[in-house]
Amino acid sequence: MNQRSAIIILIVVGLFAVTLPLYAGPYPQSIGQMVFLYMSLAVSWDMLLRSGQISFGIAGFFGLGAYTSVLTVLDLKLPPLLSILAGGILAGVVALVVGFVVLRLRGMYFAIVTLALAEIFRVIINNWASLTGGPEGKVLSSVIFGGDARLLYWLTLGVAVLTLLMSELFRRTRIHFALTSIRDNEVVASSSGVNITAYLTIAFAVTSALQGITGAAYAQVYGFVAPDGSFSTDFTLLPLAMALLGGVYGSAGPVIGALLLGVASEFLKLYIPYGHRIVYGLVIVVVILFLPRGIAGIVRRKRAPREGGHA
Amino acid sequence: MAVRRLELVMTKWNRPRYWVIGGSSLAVAVLLLIFRPYVLISGLQSAGLYAAIALPMALILGIVGIVNLAHGEFLMVGAYLAYFFNATMGVGPLASIVPVVVLMVALGIGTYRVSIRKVLAAPELNQLLLTFGISMVLSQLVNLIATSQPRSVSMSYATVSATIGSTSFGVFDFVYDVLAVLILVGLQLFLKRTRSGKAAVAVGQNPTGARLVGINVDGTYLLVFSIAIGILGILGPIFLVRHSVFPMVGGAYTMKSFSLVAMAGIGNLTAILWCSLALGMAEAFIKSFQGYGDWGDIVFFLMIIVVILVRARRTS
Repeated sequence: MNQRSAIIILIVVGLFAVTLPLYAGPYPQSIGQMVFLYMSLAVSWDMLLRSGQISFGIAGFFGLGAYTSVLTVLDLKLPPLLSILAGGILAGVVALVVGFVVLRLRGMYFAIVTLALAEIFRVIINNWASLTGGPEGKVLSSVIFGGDARLLYWLTLGVAVLTLLMSELFRRTRIHFALTSIRDNEVVASSSGVNITAYLTIAFAVTSALQGITGAAYAQVYGFVAPDGSFSTDFTLLPLAMALLGGVYGSAGPVIGALLLGVASEFLKLYIPYGHRIVYGLVIVVVILFLPRGIAGIVRRKRAPREGGHA
Repeated sequence: MAVRRLELVMTKWNRPRYWVIGGSSLAVAVLLLIFRPYVLISGLQSAGLYAAIALPMALILGIVGIVNLAHGEFLMVGAYLAYFFNATMGVGPLASIVPVVVLMVALGIGTYRVSIRKVLAAPELNQLLLTFGISMVLSQLVNLIATSQPRSVSMSYATVSATIGSTSFGVFDFVYDVLAVLILVGLQLFLKRTRSGKAAVAVGQNPTGARLVGINVDGTYLLVFSIAIGILGILGPIFLVRHSVFPMVGGAYTMKSFSLVAMAGIGNLTAILWCSLALGMAEAFIKSFQGYGDWGDIVFFLMIIVVILVRARRTS
């Protein structure tokens, strides 16, 4: 697959994604919405993973964005589209502040603290009832765009495209080299003049802002927030499984994984109402054990047989 | 001789820090005894539970070198096994400990053989993701079999209470404190007095060196991992006596155990007891305020962050 055919495939797939609402019914469109939102989470999670840091806190920033969006619409009468931006900004700022402290940690310490952060956000939202509505959450009086299914679809597509653009920006600028060198060997990176703290903070804030925007879009599309729903483990578990299945350290892998698992999840929910999440757990385990570079890794290895190794 | 020196390193009693932690917990305990006796009792009881659960996690982390993010889920599986023994055959939770331990050890051996062993040489990221995946598989498997409805058993001995002065409290929960001490002593005896325990300490310190002197490293990992899961098999049924269980019940215990292990320092089992006393008391103290009980969890999580940061700064 050379450069030109890749571009052609990209254009065809892009056109198909954009024009889907013109000929598909409401059910495929609603599947598309979920796939795009999860795709955005999966890609943003991978963006931080490229620096060697695992975040288990996706659901935390997702929920913060969702709550910010709904509350700014209800209390500040912000237009819904602006409120989605507000959700991203708040999540990004919170990430900047906590990142200042948390990003000193590495490996298992960082991973577990992000897991705890998501829990802290949930507990605060759950208990700050005067602002957030407590355990019942808040309901919007109307869904964004008056519930026009096509516009909702294009909104979620827009969120996914925004995340993909940021991901490609990360891939193609010096940020890519900085994050990769931090992942490979921090001592070497810092002695080569890479400002580790600055790059990690940027990556953490940007990816958290993207997760906040995704959560805000989710809240606007479905019209409600609740502590258990908006901070659900699903928003951490599914993106992880998607990114790992597709292949990490690039934009293509998480997109492939989100398409496969996102569509599959609709059928899983129908056939296994209780415990369909076991599939995502199994995907994570099987991928880590047998195919650490995911599907994209298999494709890449076919093209360049000597490349490979661990994720 | 080398092994002996290693075990000294492993259980090094870092004096100044423990005097601070121990002394301040004692002072807090005396204050609580005077002003809020109930907090002291319930703090003591939950500290025992936390310590007992954290000890096997510390064992795995210290020797196998893996953070088991499925730790709480193994406890949950143990509790569910006891529940099923009770529901189908009428076996009480305490009587079911023996079969549950056997099943849990088998589960531990299987998990190690099939998955853990294969990521020992892989980067830490893969290990974290793997155990996260295992935790999801376990909790969702139970969800699939038993649905998410909370399950509990009612035992007459679970509600026995005693009264001192004007405070009355449940007695059964002190079992957790006794268990925590027994598990600690048992593990220390195993690591210091037995041949395979000494080998395990050596492997924890330096797997390559241990292999060079002829220790079966893979076998040691398997032994340690299945002992840890077996201990959770003891705890699961006892956990069931006083708690209702549901598929997601384990997650909080994974995080609390990890924070205790991080606070105590990897490889230091005894300190887990002191740290769990401090955290258990702090949590019980917050929960004793009417209407603010829900904030108890957040105190625990904030303490995780503070403690990990302090330790991270000290080591760097």
